Amino acid sequence: MGQLVRSFAFQSLMLAAIAAVLAHYTGSEHIYVVAGLTLVVKGLVIPRFLIYSMDRLKVRREIEPLVGIPASLLISGGLVIVAYYITEPLISSAETVTRNCLAVSLAVVLIGLFMMISRRKAMTQMVGLLMMENGLFLGIISTTYGMPLIVEIGIFFDVLMAVLIMGIFAYRINQTFETLDTTFMRRLRG
Amino acid sequence: MIEALLLVPLFTALLCGLARSERTIYVLSAAGSTVTALVAFPCCYQALSGPPLHRGPWYLDPLSALFVLVIVVITLLVSVYSVQYLQHDRREGEVNVKDLRYYHVLLHLFALCMLLVVVVDSLGLMWIAVEGTTLISAFLVGFYKKGEAIEASWKYLIICSVGITLALLGIVLLYASSMAALGEGADTLDWSALRAVADQLDPALVKVAFIFIVVGLGTKAGLAPMHTWLPDAHSQSPTPISALLSAVLLNCAMYGVLRVHILAQAAVPGFSSSLLTFFGLLSVAIATAFLLTSRDLKRFLAFSSVEHMGIIALGFGIGGPLAVLGALFHVVAHSLTKTLMFFGAGNVIQRYRTREMREIKGVGRTMPATASLLVLGGAAIAGSPPFAIFIGELLITAGALASGEYLVAGLFIALMAIIFAAMTYRVLGMVSGRPQEGVPAGELGALRLIPMLVLAAAILMLGVLLPSALGDALGSVAELFEVII
Repeated sequence: MGQLVRSFAFQSLMLAAIAAVLAHYTGSEHIYVVAGLTLVVKGLVIPRFLIYSMDRLKVRREIEPLVGIPASLLISGGLVIVAYYITEPLISSAETVTRNCLAVSLAVVLIGLFMMISRRKAMTQMVGLLMMENGLFLGIISTTYGMPLIVEIGIFFDVLMAVLIMGIFAYRINQTFETLDTTFMRRLRG
Repeated sequence: MIEALLLVPLFTALLCGLARSERTIYVLSAAGSTVTALVAFPCCYQALSGPPLHRGPWYLDPLSALFVLVIVVITLLVSVYSVQYLQHDRREGEVNVKDLRYYHVLLHLFALCMLLVVVVDSLGLMWIAVEGTTLISAFLVGFYKKGEAIEASWKYLIICSVGITLALLGIVLLYASSMAALGEGADTLDWSALRAVADQLDPALVKVAFIFIVVGLGTKAGLAPMHTWLPDAHSQSPTPISALLSAVLLNCAMYGVLRVHILAQAAVPGFSSSLLTFFGLLSVAIATAFLLTSRDLKRFLAFSSVEHMGIIALGFGIGGPLAVLGALFHVVAHSLTKTLMFFGAGNVIQRYRTREMREIKGVGRTMPATASLLVLGGAAIAGSPPFAIFIGELLITAGALASGEYLVAGLFIALMAIIFAAMTYRVLGMVSGRPQEGVPAGELGALRLIPMLVLAAAILMLGVLLPSALGDALGSVAELFEVII
């Protein structure tokens, strides 16, 4: 689980780096702000919070994912191809620097989604959602060179709140069911 | 004016959080939502009769005004109904004063977020407000803190967050599609600005953007097959909150879809409406299957909401003056009728202490007033005349026939017939017969019946005659969809 959070933090750092490069390339100041926010919120604050809640909830490892590691890798590879296939008509006219970014961002969104449905722990689902959001941010900064700043700050705030609130609910799940395994949650149906 | 509309719920939430006694909380909550409604009416009147109010980040045009009215009216009724509902829970020892404070603070913040969704101009800010409604209402869904309630709120949070993430991707693509038309550095996601250049948006990007938005916000609006969170969240939350989720929250998400639909319709005519027709019809069909099989009263009503959101999407998808007017009318009619049904269900569930419809018998004997209002609401929601929902469905069917969509109209009518049967069977089954041993007779309080009476009167009145004020209002909203009535 620690590895999972570290990889997420690494992904966020890379995202911040891409944003910084783009900011330098376009000379637009507000992408620097976005890069800084990504670094602080997604690279430092959220991983810290996740590690803290894992310690508190005593989650150590992800046991038995629903899909095995080799199959997951294959599926993720397939998702990347799907992402390129979907975005092909859109990116053929794009500029060179950000040409691949839209496809990559869609691939990250899809892989995050796949992670949410293939893993069982509540914490892993949270990280999957965060990964989706990272993919989305890559899409935002690469296709549009940033949305209006107020919107971006609002989105960061929302992501932070969502993580905190999901943390609260993960804590409640742990207290009520004495596990974070969401496959137990099958009572509501029909 | 619009700032006042947003500040009143905020202050109400703060005051409810500071209040000491139970009584003060109830009074503050009801007073706060009354003041919000009083502030909202002149704003909406102005927006409906004149040009849109456009100041700073706010934008109030006829479409927003219609949804603002629905939000404030339903919130007012819910805050009145909550009083005796929560007093009952208090007596049962399920909640304490702290929980009450928590409930009311969240209720008004929830109303604030929903108002924010419909009065902001920027689609980005709208997205933030929609995500805000999810985060706040997750706590309301998990209010009872039992296993099932937590399960429902976790599913709600995760499914709606994923949905909303996809919607954000759609908004990003929409923004990208406007860059050529608005020029580099325009830096705006304002709907009014996008609307002005809607016919110059990049068609390929708009198509992909609308797909993401209809899937993403459609998750929140309860369109099938993304509706799976909805029956869980509706069945586990406190009943007044179920009413608010069903009658208002789903509409707010639908509002977002409609805003983008208007843009997409100008950029790529026919694409977004065919998607809306598809998802609408699919929602009605899937909801029909579950209405026949579900046994839990609140899940049953939740699937009925999926059905009605499907009908609304279908109406906008078909397009044309009749269907658009019908869909707009249906938004109002469904909100009022579904709130009535949830209030009735709340009375019955607290009296019988179960949500299993097979175990609820003889409501007519134990609670005659609730029973008669429930029968009336049941007939209305099933779509029988002379109630408001019938008019909406009739207009949509007529619109489908007028635009030559005979297959859609035929399927729609067949599904409506099945739903009518399921609805009458369930409602009459609960009302008739003898109650089980040990169910005490008697109503649960006047404050729970008065909002129901108001709603019943409203849906009956709207079904018999359309007040000219409402007719004009719907006409000016319909103009945004480029249809003249």
